[in-house]
Amino acid sequence: MALSDGAIVRRVLDGDVDAYALLVARYRDRLGRYAVHMLGDAGDAEEVLQDAFVRGFRSLRRCEDPERFGAWLFRILVNRCRTAGGRRGRRERTLVHDDVAMEMAHVNHPEDRSAWREEIELALARLDRDQREAFLLKHVEELSYEEISAMTGVGISALKMRVKRACDRLRALLEEVERV
Amino acid sequence: MIERVAAELRRPAHAPGASLDGRIMRAVHAEARAMRAPLAVRATRSSWRWLREPRSIVLSPVQVGALAAGFALVAVGFGMRLGGGPATEIVSNEAAGAGAPVAHAAAAGAVPMQFVYVAPGARSVSIVGDFNDWVPGATPLVRAGTGGMWVVSVPLGPGRHEYAFVVDGTEWMPDPSAPRALGDDFGAPSSVVTVGEHST
Repeated sequence: MALSDGAIVRRVLDGDVDAYALLVARYRDRLGRYAVHMLGDAGDAEEVLQDAFVRGFRSLRRCEDPERFGAWLFRILVNRCRTAGGRRGRRERTLVHDDVAMEMAHVNHPEDRSAWREEIELALARLDRDQREAFLLKHVEELSYEEISAMTGVGISALKMRVKRACDRLRALLEEVERV
Repeated sequence: MIERVAAELRRPAHAPGASLDGRIMRAVHAEARAMRAPLAVRATRSSWRWLREPRSIVLSPVQVGALAAGFALVAVGFGMRLGGGPATEIVSNEAAGAGAPVAHAAAAGAVPMQFVYVAPGARSVSIVGDFNDWVPGATPLVRAGTGGMWVVSVPLGPGRHEYAFVVDGTEWMPDPSAPRALGDDFGAPSSVVTVGEHST
């Protein structure tokens, strides 16, 4: 039977550092997925992911509810992505305004899954960072608005507006692709 | 459309994979070693890094005199509530060994570190940190004098400690006179104090 997050956290705090690897394996894919979509680059995402796990280990005693270690660590990751996203702002703007790249990524057949995936990621990169964050947390990570608000410090009304605008923008960008 | 997009984004196309786990755990083990390293070893690594190391809290003679007056008031008022907050036993190494009530167990080789926080309008101030499992209220400060100063002495073992002040039970505040902890991205700021082998 798999150990609960709380049981693993207690083992780590008792000195079994190797037990932390169980938490890394448990949450690496999900947190990595969010980081990649948020930052748009697998290398940057791995760097931020590693940073978040190390910070989580360093501050493990501050995890108030060890049974919900994953949610606590996710909050750390969201904040790290925000910091990394700020540093990468110039590179993101270059990507968004690269019309040549947009042309080359245009799909001939939207049912081609890898091309469709690429179109989605390009559209996601064109969202404002706050809208992208809210959209990913709400629709991809399927968190409630209350959970997202607690994680980001943003009010629920503002979050709903960000999600709505993100959805409207994504629809506009991707429906245009499907029409061609 | 949105659900199709979300479903596609949930597919693990860019999953970092188990190869990343090894790198993460190497970094975690390095962190664990750093957390266990005594101050003397860290301080000798380079003078440049020494300039960046957090410092122990050091009080000037004037501040010590003010605290001494405050401690005298506390000694007189021991067992009585001061300013609405709970009385706090001022702990020294000797008192800790003599069975005086303490909020947490003193570590071997612990040094009494004096923490001061100025909050004239506060009803209560406590200190939370890795030394008391971050439990608000476990280590309350007491008012010292009339200038809104709150004080407590906490026995800390040698090494690096993170802490914060909790004002009125809910507001977490860093120590304005101490370096900020790098890992304070949990919505609650914290500060760092490093206790040397021969700190006073």
